[in-house]
Amino acid sequence: MTVTMQPERAALVDRADLLTRVDRRTRRRSRWTDILLGTVLFLFGVLMISPLVWLISTSLTATEAAFGTPPNWLPIPFTLDAFSGVFEYMPFAQQFINSLLLATISTVGSLFFSVLAAYGLARIEFRGSRTLLVLMLSALMVPAQLVIIPVFILMRELGLVDTLAALWLPALVNVFQIFFLTQYFRTIPRELDEAATLDGAGHWWILFRMLVPLSGPAIAALAILSFESSWNGYFGPLIFLSSPEVMTLPLGLVVLQSGFGSAPAVVVFAAITMVVVPLLIVFLVFQRQFIASVASAGLKG
Amino acid sequence: MRRPAALLQRRRADLAGWLFVSPATLLFLIFIAGPFVFAIGLALFKWDMLTDPEYVGLENFTQLFADPVLLRSLLNTFAFAFASVVTHIVFGLLLAIAVNRIANRYLSYFLRVAIFFPFLISWAAVSLLWEHVLDPSFGYVAYYAGLIGIDTPNFFSDPAWALPAIIFVDLWHTLGFTFVIMLAGLQTVSPELIEAARTDGGSSWQIFWRVTLPLMSPTLFVATIVTFIGAFQVFEPVQIITNGGPQNATKTIVMYLYEQGFQAFDMGYAAAVALLVFVIIMAVTLLQFWGRRKWVYET
Repeated sequence: MTVTMQPERAALVDRADLLTRVDRRTRRRSRWTDILLGTVLFLFGVLMISPLVWLISTSLTATEAAFGTPPNWLPIPFTLDAFSGVFEYMPFAQQFINSLLLATISTVGSLFFSVLAAYGLARIEFRGSRTLLVLMLSALMVPAQLVIIPVFILMRELGLVDTLAALWLPALVNVFQIFFLTQYFRTIPRELDEAATLDGAGHWWILFRMLVPLSGPAIAALAILSFESSWNGYFGPLIFLSSPEVMTLPLGLVVLQSGFGSAPAVVVFAAITMVVVPLLIVFLVFQRQFIASVASAGLKG
Repeated sequence: MRRPAALLQRRRADLAGWLFVSPATLLFLIFIAGPFVFAIGLALFKWDMLTDPEYVGLENFTQLFADPVLLRSLLNTFAFAFASVVTHIVFGLLLAIAVNRIANRYLSYFLRVAIFFPFLISWAAVSLLWEHVLDPSFGYVAYYAGLIGIDTPNFFSDPAWALPAIIFVDLWHTLGFTFVIMLAGLQTVSPELIEAARTDGGSSWQIFWRVTLPLMSPTLFVATIVTFIGAFQVFEPVQIITNGGPQNATKTIVMYLYEQGFQAFDMGYAAAVALLVFVIIMAVTLLQFWGRRKWVYET
């Protein structure tokens, strides 16, 4: 089910491909095209990351030299002033905690309910299960912006506007996760359930001791996607949150630049750096898992 | 005696099943299905959230079809989505094929990181960053273009350049997603087939068009639909960088919905706009089922 990236295998295939080529002329020509291709791609890669290099370098440059011409690709003169400025202009630590709380609650909560629902839909053939699945599937076509208008009215009635609950409560149900996990559970042989049942295992044991561990990669992929989307979310926070100490980081960044008493550009850059660099480190560590989760869910979504 | 026992078992299975799905179903009804039905009803009212809602029948929808700003937003959105699909699919596919050929491990790693990482950065950070990168006095694009004698426009405040600039920023931000999907799709193309075609004397060009592309068609198809639906709902860069301007040049349908619903608090009209977005997305999704049989090569 899960399509995982296999760079090693791809590399092996490439090498095998080269070895099987007998024609020397072809081989020589392909070596030169490979060098050319490698150079062009390398330059392309450098262009892709140039805004990020410029971002980090500028945020470390003294205000009077930042955004100068020619552009500062190195932080000279070096200073950390912009970073201390971030804490003066926005409650960065609080907004970091808000983002973390929101993403964690949304991810753990939605996965828990999705796992339960997927078990019911995939393993217990109860009356109405098919109708329910079709109903939930059709909801995949409903754009978030349509649903958010009534949810906004509901949250206002409940007095939850300008609280994080307005964002994580609706995030507890994720139709895509339910669909994806239902499909995944169906690929796990049912004989395993039957054997476990004969040994006296109940639904709960089968689900959490057997199916969930067997679905590790799928659940990890969904967790990464869910965390990423609520960590980066902007539309919801923009609509629901208005106090700086309740805001999440993406909204906090935008308010930092455009809100009342907006910060100088270097401070904005420092704040963006403080969001991007930790993300880059996490990404470099879990690069394979990130790419695999996007590849698998992207194909199914 | 068998029948009541079987019936009892059936009942117990029904009960267990509903117990497992009930939390998600309840949340689904409250936060998705309920709001969906409510939004349809809301579209029949005028409501500013302060005074009592007023029933106006289909007036919001007739207003919809006579609204020049809505038409402009729709055209912008379709232009954006079309450009987004074409650029993402073409560059994503070519990059995936090219990177797949790189044998050097370090270069391959660097490229995958450089192309994919921007996708993980929030739209908020990406928008603020690119607003500066393309700024005529702050940014380095104008500086280097100036060095080779190109006088760059003020991208985000020039009505002719604002939408193309947003398209470009979107490409930088989400190309990594398409790239990864294409890479995964490429792994499904069997190297034996390519080798066989090569042995039969096929040129790289022929192999690309006659073997790789047809075998990739399921991936290309899914990527097209996913990119289109995502692009059709573009909002963040528009709201953050240009706020829909200059002169509505970058006003997209979701931006318009946001203005009507959450700035002007014309909730009924916003619901009508949102329903229009829903109908278009549904049409594209249904088109997918029909188009799949026609365009996709299934083994």
